Amino acid sequence: MSAALLLDVAAGGLLLGGLYALIAVGLNLQYGLMRVLNVAHGEFLMIGGYVTYLLHVHAGVDPLVSLVASGPVVFAAGVGVHAVLYRRLLRQERTREELEANSLLISFGLLFILQNGALLLWSADLRGYQYLDQPLRVLGTVFPANRVVAFAMAAIVTAWLLLFLRRTLAGAAVRALMQDPVGARLMGINVARVHALCFGLGVGLAAVSGSLLSMLFELTPFVGLPYTITALVVIILGGLGSVGGSLVGGLILGVVESLGVHFTAPDLRMVISYAVLALVLILRPYGLFNPAAHRPGQSVQA
Amino acid sequence: MNGLQAEYRDIPVLWEVSLHVRAGEIVALVGSNGAGKTTLLKVLSGLREGFLKVARGTLRFGGEGLWGLDPARIVRRGIAHVPEGRHLFPGLTVLENLRLGAYLLASRREAAEALERVIGMLPLLGERRRQLAGTLSGGEQQLVAIGRALMQRPTLLMLDEPSVGLAPRMVATVFELVRRIRAGGVSVLLVEQNVRQALALADRAYVLENGRVVLEGPGTALVEHPKVRRAYLGL
Repeated sequence: MSAALLLDVAAGGLLLGGLYALIAVGLNLQYGLMRVLNVAHGEFLMIGGYVTYLLHVHAGVDPLVSLVASGPVVFAAGVGVHAVLYRRLLRQERTREELEANSLLISFGLLFILQNGALLLWSADLRGYQYLDQPLRVLGTVFPANRVVAFAMAAIVTAWLLLFLRRTLAGAAVRALMQDPVGARLMGINVARVHALCFGLGVGLAAVSGSLLSMLFELTPFVGLPYTITALVVIILGGLGSVGGSLVGGLILGVVESLGVHFTAPDLRMVISYAVLALVLILRPYGLFNPAAHRPGQSVQA
Repeated sequence: MNGLQAEYRDIPVLWEVSLHVRAGEIVALVGSNGAGKTTLLKVLSGLREGFLKVARGTLRFGGEGLWGLDPARIVRRGIAHVPEGRHLFPGLTVLENLRLGAYLLASRREAAEALERVIGMLPLLGERRRQLAGTLSGGEQQLVAIGRALMQRPTLLMLDEPSVGLAPRMVATVFELVRRIRAGGVSVLLVEQNVRQALALADRAYVLENGRVVLEGPGTALVEHPKVRRAYLGL
């Protein structure tokens, strides 16, 4: 086993990890803000993939251009889903346990509806297309160009999200609402509107990831759930509610998975992510990058 | 407010409370823990969490009814609330905390002007603008919380226990700040455990016990009242 081969494998993992990060960032935004765990996250990813596939195959739209459609369309759908399904739930202001349990039930229902809706519309056939699969030399290694392009797009979208959160007043309002809901309400921040925005953003980012993934892998209506689980592992790795943590966590998981699969077997991919999850839960349950004193849900009192 | 009665899970917590704050006044609200002071401020700022509701009474501000409005509308009418425990955003910088105070101001120019004024009033916040609010001392955090509320350009500022947990020198700073805020034309409703200093500062004061106003009058007169001396000043 040469060091060069190991580096190749790790670099491949890093490219995939960029997509994991993008998927996880969206889910983490929702959970960090509303304590609503959307297990149908992967289904929105699947829908994004189908949007790109259909536009490309039937209308000849370039998959990269189709991001402009899949992201905003699913964002709007997410805002609608929030208004119909979550808004009342969040307004009732019950205990956190009740809210988490009920929102979990809602998103499971959503998962089945979206999966079966996709099955009805698009059948269970594998759908894929060839796109940018010529070899490209990056980091001293040869990759299919589509992997590199997908990673680059994921990086751009994630950077855009971070800029939005860090540099705009609306982004500051989102972070404020995560850190202290009472303080945020006293500033006049419209809680329901910020929730809707972030739910839409979360699923919109999932759809963009799905579009990018459709360049690399085949689609079925059932591709979503494994990505939801991957995203959960990343979130726990990086810390609940921490967008930057998800970013690094995604890259780490991509590399660990690739190396793990390389040394064992491709079938063990999920086993490896679960092992990572178990290790993190045992050793650092508040995430790799959260100092113990800043566990989510605890406000800082000086 | 007039004859206000508020209930929490159907249990009355405020009984027939009537109080008023005139323009440019500092009014203190004192009383023991659980007397209903914080609840009263929450009713005023629209922070109706959980099971708190108002059963009857009227609530008016500048000639307009307030009851039933959400916090955003109440902020727009000119009431700012610095809550107990401050509720700052610990992971945001001082500057971001202040900017969020101006979240509802229509234009960037207005927000920039408000920021300039608040930092002019509290130069310390300007020095600490890049620091995360959660890393400041308790007293500095209280100044950020008050500064953030002033960013809303209120006509009435409500302070809930601003001096709690602060070193004596910081308490003096906060009380001096309240004086300057009033001098700038803002009315202040001050809830305090620090009864002696609060009464010395206030034009008028109300004593709240078990959800009822039991005494009211000029601050200087209440300091002399035998009941206040016995119950709150330990004399």
